[in-house]
Amino acid sequence: MLRIVLKIDGERIVDLDPVLGYLHRGVEKICENGDWHHAISNCDPLEYAASMFSEAMPVLAAEKLLDLEVPRRAEYIRVLAWELNRVASHALFIGWLALDLGGLTPILYGFIERDEIVEMLAALTGQRVLFNYLRIGGVNGDLNHDFMSRLGDWMGHALHRIEDQQRLLNANEIFVRRTKGLGIVDRDIARRTCLSGPVLRATGVPYDVRRAHPYSVYPELDFEIPTREEGDSYARYLLHLDEIKQSIRIIDQVLHQMPDGPVMAKIPRLLRIPPGRAYISVESPRGQYSCYAMSDGSDQPFRLRIHDPSFFNLQAVGLVMPGNLIADTMAVMASLDPIMGGVDK
Amino acid sequence: MDENRDPGRATNLTPWGQQVSNTGGDEPVAGRGDPPAMGSDQPSHVSDGLVSGARDRAVMEPIVVPNTAWVPADPAAYGGGQPPHVAHLRELEFADKSDNGRWGALDAIPTKADYVLDLIRLNSLWPLLSGLACCALEMMSAATSRNDMDRFGMFPFRASPRQADVLIVAGTLTTKMAGPLIRLWEQMPEPKWCVAMGDCTTSGGRYKRSYATVEGIDRIMPVDVYVPGCPPRPEGLIYGMMKLQQLIKDRRGHWPERAVGPTVPTGI
Repeated sequence: MLRIVLKIDGERIVDLDPVLGYLHRGVEKICENGDWHHAISNCDPLEYAASMFSEAMPVLAAEKLLDLEVPRRAEYIRVLAWELNRVASHALFIGWLALDLGGLTPILYGFIERDEIVEMLAALTGQRVLFNYLRIGGVNGDLNHDFMSRLGDWMGHALHRIEDQQRLLNANEIFVRRTKGLGIVDRDIARRTCLSGPVLRATGVPYDVRRAHPYSVYPELDFEIPTREEGDSYARYLLHLDEIKQSIRIIDQVLHQMPDGPVMAKIPRLLRIPPGRAYISVESPRGQYSCYAMSDGSDQPFRLRIHDPSFFNLQAVGLVMPGNLIADTMAVMASLDPIMGGVDK
Repeated sequence: MDENRDPGRATNLTPWGQQVSNTGGDEPVAGRGDPPAMGSDQPSHVSDGLVSGARDRAVMEPIVVPNTAWVPADPAAYGGGQPPHVAHLRELEFADKSDNGRWGALDAIPTKADYVLDLIRLNSLWPLLSGLACCALEMMSAATSRNDMDRFGMFPFRASPRQADVLIVAGTLTTKMAGPLIRLWEQMPEPKWCVAMGDCTTSGGRYKRSYATVEGIDRIMPVDVYVPGCPPRPEGLIYGMMKLQQLIKDRRGHWPERAVGPTVPTGI
């Protein structure tokens, strides 16, 4: 829920002011009151379109503070879950972008894609949206037959679906005219407002946390960082399509390289995290999702500061919108893809 | 405006969720649901015992603008409101001039037509497109291809409250969003229903201990159906909406009983 106050001159936007806080739920404060395991499920609803990434925050921070080695099978399962969730989120992005431009059909295709993936992840984790699957030291359960059969079905036609999306929108005259050349984020704006993720990569900067600050088993996987030069809404849309293809490529490799072994490290039941500070970051569908955690040696996090890319990507809207038409506000907002749960926390 | 519009209800509610007891008309009232005067925490007649000092009371006196634009035909009946243009409908209204009836004037003529109207209403429930948080994803999922809510007559999600019948509160309701949400609810025309989707809206859920959330929307607005789950599956939402259809079919005439708090009858 986001409120935007526009200052207009006729149909043109002069100034723009987003009003935040309609979804402020006090997640960071709640995390301090529960222990580290509770923080996993409390961080889940931050980025609810891709909650596998936001729930990784306390997990990775605690593992870094514990200096814990996670079993390799667990790391591969995590990467598998992350990339599946990225595809689901990107499919929703394409649907929402077209929906905000007035096209109803792509959201139906996007939700078919997303529902297949979340049903698959529900077979693995037991939940469709807020998975609560990652654990400090591994994951909650091993891959099961239901998940693998659903994944096999989906892999058979995943790339075909992306081509369907391309045929639907890439050459659609209305879609192209309402996205091309609109909402141009250049590198200067991107640097000033700390942008990351597809919004940054659409300006030509090949920055991806998976390559820039590798974590988990991403160094062992072969994938590219797609970029675009234009920086407009259309470039961001095309970039999402490219990223879905790269994610499918990663999933394919993960399935071929998946090692055997346990999925949980041995950790004590009452987990006391050694005192200290840790900064970790992952590449979420919307950019660099990072966390600065402080522990005072107890079983509760002393402070869990979440850096959500949606908040920073939303800053760009105030810089790119002036001069554009009112009707394009929704289109540009959708192409920046903020998730308000992460913006307001 | 019309202070005797709803005499059956003991308490009114401001958009801020405070309960304000009905005033008998002996003191001037700015209007139902109007915000309290700037700088005051509570309306004057509530805070009389709490706040002492003439200065505070002077600040909290509501400003009454005298009506010079038009003259109502019967000021006592409508509280200064506009009389209806169709005269014969006025005669059919209840003796206490209240608006408690679900269908207004039509309630005076109980016929089979009302039953048919109910059937029509329950088979074309138009929900309001108002997703607040995570549950909105599942609400959208319920509306799109895979779990097609349209099959059961909950057809289009309307973007305007004036065209909507059902308010599906999908997601955590924060204290900042509570005012706008109640405004949306009050802008919806009768007959209207409310579905609380998800744990956050039924009881507070995982954010019960948060400083920024409302612990269940039934603290601030009436709810017809609760759908638990965090978030509920789309099938769960569709099941809840079908229960709402059953409720619409069964609960004719109980409309004035609807009050703030749980109103779901036993057996549903």
